[in-house]
Amino acid sequence: MKLGNLLKKELRELITVQALMSMVFTMVLFIVMGQIMGGAMEEGYDTSTITLCNQDNSAFTEDVLATIQESGHTQINFVDIQSEDYAAELERLGLKNLVIIPEGFGNSVTVEKKPAQIQVVSQMQNGGLAGTMSTVSASDIVSVIQDVCMDEVLLENYGLTEADIELIRGPLKLVEYTTLNGKTSKVSVMELTAITMMQSMIAPFAIFFLLLMASQMIMTAISTEKIDKTLETLLSAPVSRLSVLGAKMIAAVISALLNAAFMIVGFAFYMLGMVGDAVEEITASSILETTNLPIDASALEQVTSLPQAMAELGLTLSPFSYVLFAVQLFLTIAIGLAISLILGAMATDIKSVQTLTMPIMIAVMIPFFITMFIDINTMPAIFKLIAYAIPFTHTYTALTNLMNGDMLMFWIGLAYQVVCLIVCMVLAVKVFTTDKLFTMSVNFDAGLKKKSKKQITE
Amino acid sequence: MATVLEVKELSKKYPKKTKFAAEKVSFTVEEGEIFALIGPNGAGKTTTIRMISTLINPTEGDAFVAGHSIIKEPDKVRENITYLPDEAGAYKTMKGIDYLNFMAGLFAKDKETLEKYVERGKAICGLGDRLNEKIGGYSRGMIRKLLLARAVMTGPKLAIMDEATSGLDVINALEIRKMIKTLAKEQNMAFLLSSHNMLEIEYVSDRVGIIADGHLMVVGTIEELKEKYEAANLEEVFERVVKNHEIR
Repeated sequence: MKLGNLLKKELRELITVQALMSMVFTMVLFIVMGQIMGGAMEEGYDTSTITLCNQDNSAFTEDVLATIQESGHTQINFVDIQSEDYAAELERLGLKNLVIIPEGFGNSVTVEKKPAQIQVVSQMQNGGLAGTMSTVSASDIVSVIQDVCMDEVLLENYGLTEADIELIRGPLKLVEYTTLNGKTSKVSVMELTAITMMQSMIAPFAIFFLLLMASQMIMTAISTEKIDKTLETLLSAPVSRLSVLGAKMIAAVISALLNAAFMIVGFAFYMLGMVGDAVEEITASSILETTNLPIDASALEQVTSLPQAMAELGLTLSPFSYVLFAVQLFLTIAIGLAISLILGAMATDIKSVQTLTMPIMIAVMIPFFITMFIDINTMPAIFKLIAYAIPFTHTYTALTNLMNGDMLMFWIGLAYQVVCLIVCMVLAVKVFTTDKLFTMSVNFDAGLKKKSKKQITE
Repeated sequence: MATVLEVKELSKKYPKKTKFAAEKVSFTVEEGEIFALIGPNGAGKTTTIRMISTLINPTEGDAFVAGHSIIKEPDKVRENITYLPDEAGAYKTMKGIDYLNFMAGLFAKDKETLEKYVERGKAICGLGDRLNEKIGGYSRGMIRKLLLARAVMTGPKLAIMDEATSGLDVINALEIRKMIKTLAKEQNMAFLLSSHNMLEIEYVSDRVGIIADGHLMVVGTIEELKEKYEAANLEEVFERVVKNHEIR
């Protein structure tokens, strides 16, 4: 009854209306972000419509444009520009990019037999993904025009047949295979990387966020109790210290899991919004639409779909792997909580709480950045050792290890975390069941800049 | 009268310190008695009180609450005491009534007792409808009254209060002093107080122990001490005891 009473109180303190609102906000943020990003990517990869200003009146240009339109893959939206102030023109026409065929284009190719100039104006909206995408799609459009120009030039200037052109255009037929841990799939490595990168960036972000949040929560909870002296009141009541400690830990875990649940739902929608549409777009249709050549159905069949390829290469996780990852995640949170509890117990005022979050922040951030940007195994031995000594590193590498089937590394990481958890828990229990809870503190004297234990009691 | 608290040569030395924070402190508190520990800052009042409240362990000696040792039976001791720390707060996100319910839940063994405790707490704190508001919006005086009600609602054998009225205005402090006196008299509750406020101690306590530099220098009723030190009031007694100690 007493543990239940304590747990109820802790939960009520941690899961407040404000906390729930921030959870919902995070979820909505993810969903909205997914929609926006997905939209931007779709728009970016869309090469079905060209906005074009034709300033050249030559028959050659007319032919080229007519051929593009006849192919049925690309629609041309003709516009006229009134000045060379491209920024103003894009603004006036409400466009993100524009292709300009300047006067003398046809003449240059057919009469002068020199490369002709074509202009592309792209609006960079911001540094984000959407801005880059519009440039990508503009250059794709140019390659479509270039292909058609080439065909026309070869046909008219050199008297080749269409069959000749087809051979010249495609003397090679690329069939890509990707191998991973001894498994092979008929898929382009570039496309796979795009997807796995997304996963390897977002998963650590979720872990990072979850860990920091849970740690901050328990640290604030314990230090506030200490500073307000409600902890002294609580511990002089007929309840065991372990049940007070247990209630705090359980409540923090429940709250962290609730946070995680909201975040994962948001994240799932985010991925769905972003990847779901975009992947299909990139894999099949983009291949069709960016080439102007007739593609036979068999060529398409040869391209393995991404989800299928990921399954073939073992890049998807089995339910058992998910369970293992969940166990590791739980261990991670528990270690974070135990460390935060010890740190929180050292706080003497609100200012020191902020300083005390530093060690845990650093321990969470170092592996986060390392795993995001480089492969730990390529680092010099000493740095590798330091990185692996941080228990949280093993959480960040767990997903990769599981996907790559590197079970030995996974189990080593898991075992190390179990050891870390036991050590941290023993320390936390020691702090909580002895005088240390009231006598331990950290003194951040500006002049000393050195941690020193200080007795705060009389 | 039965002895509620018996402190026997209680000593505490903190790690990495050469001096004892409290050394061989001995005194007793009887049923229905209000006993006050007074002394300068850093004299060892809070250390002594924290040891009796089972928050920190003594280095030497022992204390018994209702016959239970603070070392061997801390759980039993906690069933018989309540402790109100100096400048204590309460959970700001809780409503006053929820706080009383929560704390009563830690002491009560069944629902009936819990309700009895909460009813008593409600009556003692005198906060009325404001108990349904969040503690975050309470004034200092209101919080102190709530905490005091919490400390006595379970009818402990010994209520330990560190600076019971610190930071309160005259009216609030007076109310709390009256409340303590009434509870000791009518419910035979024993109180162990600590304070800097000599006037308050003189008004409220039956016996006083003056502590300086970790040592309990003298124990007695106010009248006994005034007579012994030829002083007009407790303030003068205190001054003489502390000065005598410093000269030595």
